[in-house]
Amino acid sequence: MRRRVPQLVCGLFGLLIFTLHFLTSDQAHRTYRLILDDYYQIVFAFALLVGVVSFIRVNLKAVERGKDRPYRIVSLLGLLLMPVLAMGWGIGGDSPFLWVFDNVQVPMQATVFALLAFYVASASFRGFRARSLPATVLLLSALLTLLSRSDLGGFMAEYITPVADWVRYNPSMSARRAILIGIGLGSLTTSLRVILGIERTWLGGGK
Amino acid sequence: MDIGIIIAGLLTLAIFSFLYRDNPVYKMAESLLIGVSIGYFLVITWDNTLRANLFDPLFTGGEIDLLIPFGLGLLMFGRFSSKTSALSRIPIAVLIGSGAGVAIPAMLGARTLAQMSATVQPLLTESGWLNVSGLVVLVGVLCTLAYFYFSREHQGTLGRVAKTGTWFLMIFFGTTFGYTVMSRMSTLIGRVEFLLSDFLKLTN
Amino acid sequence: MKQLQQRHYVFIGLALVVIVTMLLPYRPEIVPSAETRRMHEYIDSLPEGSVLLISFDHEASSLPEIKPLALALLRHAFSKRLKLIGIALLPEGTGVGYGLMREAAREYDMSYGEDFVYLGFRPQYVAAILSMGESIPETFPEDYLGQAYDQLPMLNGIENYDDLACVISVADGSLTTHWVEYGHARYRVKVSAFVAASMVTTYDPYLASGQIYAMVSGLRGAAEYEKLIGIGGSGARGMLAQTSMHLYVILMIIIGNLIYFRQKQRGRG
Repeated sequence: MRRRVPQLVCGLFGLLIFTLHFLTSDQAHRTYRLILDDYYQIVFAFALLVGVVSFIRVNLKAVERGKDRPYRIVSLLGLLLMPVLAMGWGIGGDSPFLWVFDNVQVPMQATVFALLAFYVASASFRGFRARSLPATVLLLSALLTLLSRSDLGGFMAEYITPVADWVRYNPSMSARRAILIGIGLGSLTTSLRVILGIERTWLGGGK
Repeated sequence: MDIGIIIAGLLTLAIFSFLYRDNPVYKMAESLLIGVSIGYFLVITWDNTLRANLFDPLFTGGEIDLLIPFGLGLLMFGRFSSKTSALSRIPIAVLIGSGAGVAIPAMLGARTLAQMSATVQPLLTESGWLNVSGLVVLVGVLCTLAYFYFSREHQGTLGRVAKTGTWFLMIFFGTTFGYTVMSRMSTLIGRVEFLLSDFLKLTN
Repeated sequence: MKQLQQRHYVFIGLALVVIVTMLLPYRPEIVPSAETRRMHEYIDSLPEGSVLLISFDHEASSLPEIKPLALALLRHAFSKRLKLIGIALLPEGTGVGYGLMREAAREYDMSYGEDFVYLGFRPQYVAAILSMGESIPETFPEDYLGQAYDQLPMLNGIENYDDLACVISVADGSLTTHWVEYGHARYRVKVSAFVAASMVTTYDPYLASGQIYAMVSGLRGAAEYEKLIGIGGSGARGMLAQTSMHLYVILMIIIGNLIYFRQKQRGRG
């Protein structure tokens, strides 16, 4: 029962929305929107909230145990700060909420990402080796791309860029297209298996 | 100087300190980032979605049919107790089922068939020359697909075709690496530009 | 002090390259690519008052790359007196998109509600894209600031994608794919993209098949677009650094390989 009911709900919602995709009546469109807006999106928003609650629980437990206590407290205070600011002064215009977002969250998040530039350079030095013929092709393709997107003018602009563009739009694109088709077929069959109740791993363990 | 820029600059430097090695200043900044990000995310999800699309229409607009998705959403919290965790499977079933239902036409039509159709191009160009690029794309797609076909051992003709597929894949990975380097460097440029012009006022 | 390791020297080299080149006043000559020109020509060809939906489908982490791209687009659209609707399919894109639209609108003296609106965030992007195809006002009963949809004059008569000229996804990940596979496929809305360079090869098949109409990518794409609209920005300012950093990475690859082959030869010897 604990597995049958969810499986049935899953199959019904999947079948319903799949069928509605092909129906053109106004009622069909209204139902389609209703499921997407009132069910799919709202339930998904609650799933996100579950993540937030889970984060708070894990951190509170860690504070209790004394593990990385100062850091956990800072995380929890940061989490608390944003709703307090939003409730006090709103989220628009020049609100403190957006001020914290612009001056604390955005710069740090962007800098964490910028760190990757250094590690990419380091990896290029330490790991990007022409160990075999396929690895050499990979390396040459990368060098061609990097050279073509550098503003060196002259010979580079005249000869290297058109070659790099051709490689990008043809052999490179064709491999990506094959990957896309593969993923498409894989997703299609997985979706069918989920709706038909053959694929049940999403139910997790237990009865 | 604007206090916001000073704070942003100091936090930027705190994150960059990780390049030397992991340290308490970095860890503190990282913890703050995690907390603030989740707090921000909570507010936006609450205000832009749950309040606007659920609570306001339900409690002030009287749209009682919204009680069903509201109830389903609440069942999600059943996960936190072993006694009620099975209940959370029902809203998850709504998500998984709806996701699978919308994915089938998209994966079949917009992805697989559209991409297959774009692969088949005329063999001759308008001026009568052999369409080499079109041919390369066709061979590339077929060979790469063969590489990902694991229902038969890669031997004989299939083996050779799949091997050709690996060359196309290597070219693709190389091109992707090149563009990824570009992207990461651009992000660093942005942060350095902020430090030099806004924080340190060394450039305009 | 802990001894510096090999990777630290690579880091220091890269830091020096970016700092020195950012301090130099030299700006390389930018030649816009056909890809960027196509997008520019399309926006240029739209009649005054056409409505564009700009979806900020990115995180805050990619802002240094996304900001010049988005600002170039917004400046061009506002200068052509196009009407803009902003939305976000990722939470962090919400605050960023709102800030960027306000910044560009101030420059062109555009007023909120008349020339542009910002509807905010919806979770579960597939559901949001499909739902907007059915009804934008029912998907977004309120804008980001909590004003009712029907109270915003610019939105009068805008019901779904049929009333838009194009959807432009400003993305650092794979969200544009969903605009193509759900928005374009089901509702035939024209989809274009301003994307981080790292996503270029992901979108190439869609560009080649015509499912994405036009695409501008990376800081270089931003610099090209800035050149086409005749407004300098972060894109152009960063081009010398970008080129120098590419050359630095190429140099690292070459040195790394020279060391590798030398060690291999020694091993054989």
